[in-house]
Amino acid sequence: MKDQWRLLLTGDRTAAENMAIDRAILVAHSLGVVPPTIRFYRWKPAAISIGYFQSLNEEVNREACKQLNIDCVRRITGGGAVFHEHELTYSIVVSELHPLIPKNILESYGLICQALIEGFSHLGIASQYAPINDILVKGKKISGNAQTRKLQTVLQHGTILLDVDVDKMFRLLKVPNEKLKDKLITQAKERVTSLRQVTGGDISFETVANAMKHGFEKTFDTSLELGILTKEEQMYAKDFITSCFGNDDWNDMR
Amino acid sequence: MEKRIVYKVPGGKLLKIFLLIEKRTMTIKDIRITGDFFAHPEESIEGLEQTLRGKPLANKALFDSINSFIHDQQVQLIGIDARSLTDAIVRGIL
Repeated sequence: MKDQWRLLLTGDRTAAENMAIDRAILVAHSLGVVPPTIRFYRWKPAAISIGYFQSLNEEVNREACKQLNIDCVRRITGGGAVFHEHELTYSIVVSELHPLIPKNILESYGLICQALIEGFSHLGIASQYAPINDILVKGKKISGNAQTRKLQTVLQHGTILLDVDVDKMFRLLKVPNEKLKDKLITQAKERVTSLRQVTGGDISFETVANAMKHGFEKTFDTSLELGILTKEEQMYAKDFITSCFGNDDWNDMR
Repeated sequence: MEKRIVYKVPGGKLLKIFLLIEKRTMTIKDIRITGDFFAHPEESIEGLEQTLRGKPLANKALFDSINSFIHDQQVQLIGIDARSLTDAIVRGIL
């Protein structure tokens, strides 16, 4: 009998809720009270998340975010700033001690990204892992990923772009050099793609979630059972919103 | 003297470092290391910043401090390393 993992579909959430839920699952799994978990989710309102080591003021045009009702949050994972709008976001929480999880962090990126690649393949789309943390379709980035390890537990989350609005993204994100902005926008349009561009049409969140579910099941030789956030996880998440992701002290920490 | 250093690590991530320099002694008064890199455990970067305070802005001394901190604390850096951190920080002299 296959290992059974939990699947969570938590729908639309705020940025602080989403980051708090991922961390809550990490804590619950580290205590051994919930199985390894895959979650698929969205952001409402649309949001920008920055990497743990970034500075919101340095990366984000906060005035523009306010005007367009865009949430901003610092992740517990490293990596870059991401504009979350038309995408499927996943997270995976699994013990570092799980026999399938490589001790080596880069190798574990590769393995988790392999699940997404299987998922794309289920949609009939060929994709490649581009270390450190990207997945490409026809040479263009379609997915970015970020991992942390705490309490002997791996948390990796990442995005799969359903559609992308590069112009809007550049209104919200700051660039290192304003003079180069037009050039950077042109470059980004050449370097980033989405499922909409790849398939030439609309593809639903549910279709992509289903494909990615297959990808994770295949890669981790498991079956994903739809579950719910436990009472404890909801409680941890609420605490993390207050102490962390919904708190300016955290979001403006660097 | 305040410096903001933006340094693209060759083959790696983008470092943005905020440096407060004690001009008289050319030492680091304060430093904040930001960027889109990865470090495990994440909190170790704060410890590294702490360690670098008071250190001279000299290539070899900086590299040695960063390198021994990373080894002693068993920090795993992804997208940056001791070399690129040093190269970025010493730009503060320019």
